[in-house]
Amino acid sequence: MKLLSKYNRINIPIIIVVLLISSVVYYSMLHVLLIHLVGHDLEIEEQEIRAFVKNNDSLPGASIYRDQQISFDTSLKEVPPRNFTTLINYDKGEGENELYRRLTFPIKVKNKVYQASVSKSQEEVEYLIKMIAYITLLIIVVLIGVLMIVNRFVLANLWKPFHSTLEQLKQFNISAKNKLQLKDTKITEFAELNETAVAMTDKVSNDYETLKSFTENASHEIQTPLAIMKMKLELLMQSENMNEVQMNCISALNEATDRLSRLNQSLLLLTKIDNSQFIDVENVDLSDLLLNHINNYEELASSKNISIKKNISPSVHVLANRSLMEILISNIMVNTIKHNYKNGWIEINVSGNILSVSNTGKKPSVNTNQLFERFKKSDSSSDSLGLGLAIVKKICDTCGFQVAYNYTEPMHTITFNFLKK
Amino acid sequence: MYFLPKKLKILIIEDEKELSDSIAAYLTSQDYSCDTAIDYNSALNKTESFDYDCILLDISIPGGNGLQVLESLKENNKNDGVLIISAKNSLDDKISGLNMGADDYLAKPFHLSELSARIAAIIRRKNFDGHNVIKFHNIAVDTQNKSITVNDIPVTLTRKEYDLLLYFISNKKRVISKDAIARHLWGDEMGGNFDFIYTHIKNLRKKLSDAGDADYIKSVYGIGYKFSD
Repeated sequence: MKLLSKYNRINIPIIIVVLLISSVVYYSMLHVLLIHLVGHDLEIEEQEIRAFVKNNDSLPGASIYRDQQISFDTSLKEVPPRNFTTLINYDKGEGENELYRRLTFPIKVKNKVYQASVSKSQEEVEYLIKMIAYITLLIIVVLIGVLMIVNRFVLANLWKPFHSTLEQLKQFNISAKNKLQLKDTKITEFAELNETAVAMTDKVSNDYETLKSFTENASHEIQTPLAIMKMKLELLMQSENMNEVQMNCISALNEATDRLSRLNQSLLLLTKIDNSQFIDVENVDLSDLLLNHINNYEELASSKNISIKKNISPSVHVLANRSLMEILISNIMVNTIKHNYKNGWIEINVSGNILSVSNTGKKPSVNTNQLFERFKKSDSSSDSLGLGLAIVKKICDTCGFQVAYNYTEPMHTITFNFLKK
Repeated sequence: MYFLPKKLKILIIEDEKELSDSIAAYLTSQDYSCDTAIDYNSALNKTESFDYDCILLDISIPGGNGLQVLESLKENNKNDGVLIISAKNSLDDKISGLNMGADDYLAKPFHLSELSARIAAIIRRKNFDGHNVIKFHNIAVDTQNKSITVNDIPVTLTRKEYDLLLYFISNKKRVISKDAIARHLWGDEMGGNFDFIYTHIKNLRKKLSDAGDADYIKSVYGIGYKFSD
């Protein structure tokens, strides 16, 4: 949920409730006040009647106007005390019931007490209140509407620095080495956010660089002891008169050392690609490169009776680093033979920007999405390192190629699109 | 120091003593005469004072850069073969080294058998301009035409079988590991895959014995093969 919606969801009900309660209070107070004003008019009338009685010592004449009536009741034995009442009168003229405010008070003329009553139509007051209520309602609606619109625009504007920072963070790529370019903002919270984001990404980038150089240095440092191990083992191999146990030991050591050495070389290669040590690009003749590699592995394939069907358009060129392209092609070629079975076949197609390499083989046992991950391999018992496809993927990512893998019984197909993304 | 007249001279410029010793031990057993230098100055001294058939040059040596040694060889118009051995496996080193006149490049860690084969190839190119026939008993390998004869009868080998035979002869009487063979034949990507070697060995054996040769390829239990009589 967006912040604005969340804010509105809380804010609008509160505004409505507050406005409702305050309208009721406002209405009642206004009502009381206006009724009081009518009462005041009635009191003025009362005083006039009293003045008239005082001056003339007789009751003034009763009068009936539409909005003000004065009458005297002379028949009452017991006159009730002064009292305000509201009553409903049927207005013949209008043909409807109307509210009246009436003041009844005792008045003494020639030692006799009468009840005088002055009443005034409340209709005008009611009308006034109604109009005020309507106007107020209109103002409230307009106010809420304006508030919402203003909120929307003001907030959108206020959040601008936040969104710009967010966008930058989204585009932050640790391996691209680009620093965050955050706009200055005067809003403390956002300024703080930017500071933190910059500090964090700087730290992450630094750590990443340190880790990368550590990996590369470590791989380099490992090479010398590895080389010594390999050479000493090779010298040891030459010894005459070794028994089977010793031979077994040397053989196992030799294989483990070779494996370690291959692992180290692959990791070093991955790090080097990461450290952009393969940045020189040239127009590589893919067709030529493929034919060379096919040539190199043809005998290997035929030893397993694997046939290679090639459909390679001449001089397809790809703008890329030559070393990386060679590693890519040889990795793929080796895979097609390694993961093939006897009497299988390999299909290599190149046309336009698309290279697709297929080979017969067993269904991969790992999720095909994970095949490009490091140390994922279809057959865990195999002596492969599970880095071949990770290297292929890394090269594609670096060069901007797209790569996809697909298995359709019995063919594994890996497709490259060399058109830069 | 007395060298037998026919012994080929190798200079090993490498600061890691264990590596240097191992290389020297292997090459000496291959009938080379080995000399070692552990830093820039001693390397320069030796290259200026003697002629070597092949110099193994580590790029990172104390007191200077291996490439400077290469430069000095060029300045002195020396024709020693140079094989760069570098732990860095850096492309720049490889390219600049080869551009500066080095004959080959080998990244550490490598198999001694591979080193020996590379040295043999360099020396062949230097000394005989490629016109060379290598003999092992009654097998003759013409490295220029890439053809072989057994008992003077031509034997047709596939390219990889030829490479394999030459590799064996370059490392005769030495035990060669399967990994070294796999890498030599198909490159580093095929390291660790040994089942393919067997077919090639079998075919090579068959072709040689069909031509009336003794079986020189001995299996060494669990490790690899040895080419010897």
